Amino acid sequence: MANIPIIENHEKSRELFSKATKIIPSGVYGHLGPAEGQFIPVSNWPLFLTKAKGSYMWDVDGNKYIDYMCAYGPNVLGYGDPDVDAAAKKQIDLANCTTTPGSIMVDCADLLVDTVATADWAFFAKNGNDATQGAMMAARAHTHRKKIIFFKGYYHGVSPWQMKKDYPGVLEEDVCNNIILPWNDIPALEKTIEENKDQIAALIAQPYDHGNFYDNSFPEEGFWPKVRELCTKNGIILIVDDVRAGFRLDLAGSDHYFGFEADMICFCKALANGYNMSAICGKEFLKSAMSSLSYTGSYWLSAVPFAACIACIEKMKKLDTPTMFRENGIKLTEGLRKAGAEHGFDLVVSGAPALFYLRIANDDSMVLHQEWVAEMVKRGIFLASHHNHFMNASLTDKDIKHTIEVGEECFKILANNHPELF
Amino acid sequence: MTDAKTLAYINLYGILGTLENLCELDAEASALAQVKRPVSIAFSVKGGPDATLTFKDGRCRMEQGVNPKATVLLPFSSCEKFNGMIDGTVTPIPVKGFHKIGFLLKNFMKLTDILTKYLRASEEDLKDPVFFETSTKLMFYLIAVAISQIGNNDSIGTFSASNIPDGIIEMGIKDSVAATIRVKDHHLVTIKQKPASYRSKMEFGSIKLARDLFDGKVNAVACIGEGTIEMHGLINMIDNLNRILDRVALYLA
Repeated sequence: MANIPIIENHEKSRELFSKATKIIPSGVYGHLGPAEGQFIPVSNWPLFLTKAKGSYMWDVDGNKYIDYMCAYGPNVLGYGDPDVDAAAKKQIDLANCTTTPGSIMVDCADLLVDTVATADWAFFAKNGNDATQGAMMAARAHTHRKKIIFFKGYYHGVSPWQMKKDYPGVLEEDVCNNIILPWNDIPALEKTIEENKDQIAALIAQPYDHGNFYDNSFPEEGFWPKVRELCTKNGIILIVDDVRAGFRLDLAGSDHYFGFEADMICFCKALANGYNMSAICGKEFLKSAMSSLSYTGSYWLSAVPFAACIACIEKMKKLDTPTMFRENGIKLTEGLRKAGAEHGFDLVVSGAPALFYLRIANDDSMVLHQEWVAEMVKRGIFLASHHNHFMNASLTDKDIKHTIEVGEECFKILANNHPELF
Repeated sequence: MTDAKTLAYINLYGILGTLENLCELDAEASALAQVKRPVSIAFSVKGGPDATLTFKDGRCRMEQGVNPKATVLLPFSSCEKFNGMIDGTVTPIPVKGFHKIGFLLKNFMKLTDILTKYLRASEEDLKDPVFFETSTKLMFYLIAVAISQIGNNDSIGTFSASNIPDGIIEMGIKDSVAATIRVKDHHLVTIKQKPASYRSKMEFGSIKLARDLFDGKVNAVACIGEGTIEMHGLINMIDNLNRILDRVALYLA
């Protein structure tokens, strides 16, 4: 086994974070920060970076990591992909944020309509939240109904209606039209639709349950076709939130992967390899409703991300990234699972291999898993203990082999630290 | 935003329940609880909580429900009336135990005055390190109990509790006090001692930090980043607990 260096110096990260807390709420807020990012213990994690390339990132203290979080999804081809960056640079020399949009916007929409199975049109915005919010508004505009169905454990963004009534800043009135149902439960869905006849505007869901803190779960056989049938029969708009999984399972959309057609599908993360844009694609009958919305933003039609998006999608097609991610994801997670088993640990792998979720199941508290992840990060493998991970196209066999070796070493350390388990 | 029933549960189990800890931490309070014969005061709130406080050998213990052997019984016709007693706007009338009226008017009133001094501490009093520590510990116990009452009664709190999986949450201040919050079928019970094991744990790095958090002087999310608040285990338990914790300030304001 190669000598695995241990990362102990986070001095500059700590200094910068201390400064940040004085001038930025929480220092680093949201999912990229140490609280939501579950940096446990925080002393093991880098808090700020200086550069990223391919599958690697370097923190402000000069430590190098293989990054399996991929900016929580946007890094799909590798940080600083030369083809995407070249397309973006070419466009920035022409025009970016302008009074009328660049012509490349139409090219981008054309490509999405050609690529995404359910797409008759494409509507552009910036973040995943813009896309899910726009889709919900279009569904309400089209149906003139109020209620929205979600599945338990959902995450569809950060607008008040997408959150829960106990979140700071959210009113009960913001979420009073939300109906939350268990995942994979058709009888519950049928009952709810019956009890709320002609009141439900939309059902919004991720293509499979890739929630945090628990094993990810695929739709049961026949689940999606039945949901599709019930939505069609009852005039409910079926929205697939493919912000996280989009283009990693299937370039035609995750609804296509699971054998059904959404009415609208929302994309963001893997759309443009880190250039900021999101998109809603939808069926012809919803185009008028989408057009009717008063819904726009200062940067939504900027040209550079469109150029990046076109280059990104073309490269994903050329590389057949969904197949690559599946094969590499299986190789990686099987290796880690076997390494765990050799030391007596039950590493449960769930979700799609392209977005694998890991959990050590020897205890029910996640403490062992958090300790293992912390040891991995200390050895330059950036994982998260609570969230699915992301594959990217620049990851090599050598990276995977190294990750498995580090994983094995960390399982050994975990076993030594917990003799009471064996 | 708040409701009288939840406040009554906090006032009884949280505020008056903290007399238990006060008698352990403050010599003057303990002396007031030093009685020749044990005195027990039962509080019965219609449509709300019931509990009995017993003073014996310089200590105070609370049990849930009205102990039929209680020496004094204080009934309240509503949660609002009971909350009024805590605010000092309602004078309770005992229906039993007139011979112990002296204890009620002297010792008990004095105990609640001392408790108020600690829980509504002045900046001047907090300059004394011993007072500061006692006050912060009492605040900690009050908050730990209030979390369960809000999780079990308040309409938003019960929603947060509905998202907490079963198990033990340890909440504590490093090298100081700790409490157990036991969750079973989304019902919360606070036990004012450290658990033997936990499914999730949240620990404040020092008494000073805990005080600053309670007083709203520092932000918990930033503290996690600084490493002065540590979390372990099933974090979604703590995440939802913190949503309840957000509402504690609303009730204790």
